[in-house]
Amino acid sequence: MLLGFRKRSLVRRLVLLAASWTLIVLLAAGAFLTAQFRDAAIRRFDQSLAVLTDDLYAGSAVEDGVLKAPFLTDIRATRAYSGRYWTIFAQRNGSLRAVERSRSLFDSDLMLSTAQVDRLTADPGKTQFFDMHGPQDKPLRAAAILARLPNYPDPVVFIAAEDRSPIDADADRFGRITIFALLLLGAGLILAIVVQVRFGLQPIFRLRREIADVRRGKAERLAGPYPVELEPLAEELNGLLAHNQEVVERQRTHVGNLAHALKTPLSVMLTEASQQGGSLAEVVERQAQTMREQVDHHLRRARAAARSQTSGERTPVEPILDELAVTLERIFQDKNDGRGVEIDWRCPEDLCFQGERQDFMELAGNVMENAGKWSKARIRAEAKPDGEGKMLLTVDDDGPGIPPEQRAQALKRGQRMDEHTPGTGLGLSIVDELARAYGGSVTLDDSPLGGLRVVLSLPRAEG
Amino acid sequence: MRILLVEDDPDLSRQLKLALADAGYAVDHAADGEEAQFLGETEPYDAVILDLGLPKVDGVSVLERWRRGSVATPVLILTARGAWSEKVAGFDAGADDYLTKPFHTEELLARLRALLRRSAGHAAPSLTCGGLRLDPRAARASVNGEPLRLTSLEYRLLHYMMMHQGRVIGRTELVEHLYDQDFDRDSNTIEVFIGRLRKKLGADRIETVRGLGYRLIPLEGETAG
Repeated sequence: MLLGFRKRSLVRRLVLLAASWTLIVLLAAGAFLTAQFRDAAIRRFDQSLAVLTDDLYAGSAVEDGVLKAPFLTDIRATRAYSGRYWTIFAQRNGSLRAVERSRSLFDSDLMLSTAQVDRLTADPGKTQFFDMHGPQDKPLRAAAILARLPNYPDPVVFIAAEDRSPIDADADRFGRITIFALLLLGAGLILAIVVQVRFGLQPIFRLRREIADVRRGKAERLAGPYPVELEPLAEELNGLLAHNQEVVERQRTHVGNLAHALKTPLSVMLTEASQQGGSLAEVVERQAQTMREQVDHHLRRARAAARSQTSGERTPVEPILDELAVTLERIFQDKNDGRGVEIDWRCPEDLCFQGERQDFMELAGNVMENAGKWSKARIRAEAKPDGEGKMLLTVDDDGPGIPPEQRAQALKRGQRMDEHTPGTGLGLSIVDELARAYGGSVTLDDSPLGGLRVVLSLPRAEG
Repeated sequence: MRILLVEDDPDLSRQLKLALADAGYAVDHAADGEEAQFLGETEPYDAVILDLGLPKVDGVSVLERWRRGSVATPVLILTARGAWSEKVAGFDAGADDYLTKPFHTEELLARLRALLRRSAGHAAPSLTCGGLRLDPRAARASVNGEPLRLTSLEYRLLHYMMMHQGRVIGRTELVEHLYDQDFDRDSNTIEVFIGRLRKKLGADRIETVRGLGYRLIPLEGETAG
C-alpha cells in the first residue's frame, strides 16, 4: 500500500516531484565528486612526474659536446614496457632528435605532437603536462620541460611519462561507489518522502473516512479536530449536513402534518357513513378506508426517505422494550377474560439499535402489538446481539400462529389476515418495509409458545 | 354515566355526542384544552374521551395536569398520530386507553364500555411499604404518589414481596410465584427482574441477603402511604 498509488493521486504527485528533484541533485553531486577525485589524483600523479623531469634536467651533463643522462635507479624505468618512461630530445631546426631514453622504452620513443612542442617552446623552463599514447598504445600522462644546458648548442626537451590507467581505474571505482551510495541515499530519501507525504496527508484520509461514515450512517457529523488548513472545510461540511438534515426534517414534518390533518375528516366521514347507512355510505366507507391506507403508506415513505439521509443515532433497546411492554399490557388488559396479556421480555442493558428511536419503537411496537392481538395470555420478547453489527429481536406468542404457506402473504402490504381483530392488519408489512429500509429482515416461524415467532434482524450500534 | 368529550372538530364532536347519547351516556363537550382541564378538575366524570390535537393546551399536557392534580378519571385518548412513540407518550402521561383516527364509532363505544367496567369498584384494600403503595384491584403501584410503570411480571414480583415485606424470600420461592407454569426458569430470571424493580423503585429498596434471597425494606424518612 505504501507505494501503490493510483493515477491522479495527490500523494503520487507530491512524491514524484520530490523524487525527481532528489535524483537530479544527487546525480549532479555524484558527477561533481567523481570529477574532483579524478583531478586530485591526476595532480598528485603529475607532481611525481614533475620530480622525475626535474631529476633528468638537473642530473644531465654535457661531456665533450655529448649529452649524458643521469643514472637513475628507478627499476621501473629499466624494465621494458614497465609503464614508466623518459626521453631526452635535442631540438634542432624545429625537429626533435632523441638523445637518451629510458631502457623501458626499448626501441620506441615518447612522441610529442607539434602543438605540444609549440607549448614547450613558447614557455621554456616551465614544466608542462600532457596526455599522450606510449608504447603498445597505452594512455600515458607526461611531464615535459624545455631547457638549455651549458655547453650544449641545442635546446633540450626532458620528458617523463607514466601509464595513467591505475588512476583512471581508481577514479572509475570511486565514481561507481559514489553513484551507488548516492542512489542508496536517494532511495532512502524517496521512501522518507513517501512516508512524510502519507503522514502529512493523514488528516485528508481521515476526512474521507469520516465522510464515508456519515454516508453509511455510522456518524452524524465529522468529529475532528482537524489541522487549521482543513478545519474550515470540515466545519462547512458539518454545516451542510446539518442544513440537509433540517430540510429533510422539515419536509417530514410537513408530510406528517398533512397526513394527520386528513385523519379527523376521515373519521368524520366514517362515522357519518356508519350512522346514515345505504349505498352512498358504503362507497364513502370503502373510499375512506383506502384513503387511510394511502395516508399511512405515504407517511411511512416520508419517514423512510428521511432515514436514508441520516441515521447515525444509537438507540438503547432496553428502555424501549420496557415502555412498550408496560403500554401494551395496558392496551391488552381486557383480553384473556380481563386477565390481560403477560409480556415477558429480556434484553442486555447495553444493547443499542443503530438508528432512530422512533423507528425502533415502530418496529418493536408493531411486532409486539401483532403478537398481543393474537396471543391468548403470553408474549415473550428477547433482544440480543447477533454477530458483528447485528442484533435480533425475537417475539413469540401463544396464539394460533400462521401456517407456513401463508407467512409470505402476511408480510405483504395491504394483506389483512384477520378481519375480526381490530387494527388494519398492516402491522407486519410495515415492519417488513421498515426493517428493509434499515438493511434488516423479518422472518416468521413456529413459536415454542405455540403461536407465531417473529424474528427481526436489525443493525446494532457497536459498544 | 357522565362522560366528558374533548374534541375540537365540530363535525366529529356532533357525531360523537350523538352516538354517546344514543348509547345512554350524559355527555359534556369541551372544544379546547383550557376548558377541558377546568371541566375535568371540577366535574365528577366517569370517563373522559380526549383528543390530543387541541387548541390552546394540547391533550397530553391536559392529561398530565389532571394526573398531577390527582384527577383519577379514566381517560381514552383519540389521536391522528398513531406512531408507537406517541402511544407510549400518551400512556406515560396517564392515559388508560388509546384509539387512532380514523376509527369506527362502534369501536370507540366498545373501548369506552371496557374502560368503565375496569374502573368500577376501586375500593380494594391497598398494600403499602414506606412510601410504596400497591393497588391490587387496578394493578397499579406508586412511590410517594408518583405512578410506577410496571409490567405484569414486575408487578407480580413486587406484589409478592409486599405481601411478605421485611422477610427474606428465596429465589426458588420467587420464581415459583412469578410464573404459573413450569417454563422459563433460567437461573438468572430473578436477578433480571430484581434489577428492573430496583431501577424503578430505587436501588436500596430491595436488599440482597447473600445465599438466602431478597428482602423488601421500608425506607426511613418516607411518608407512610
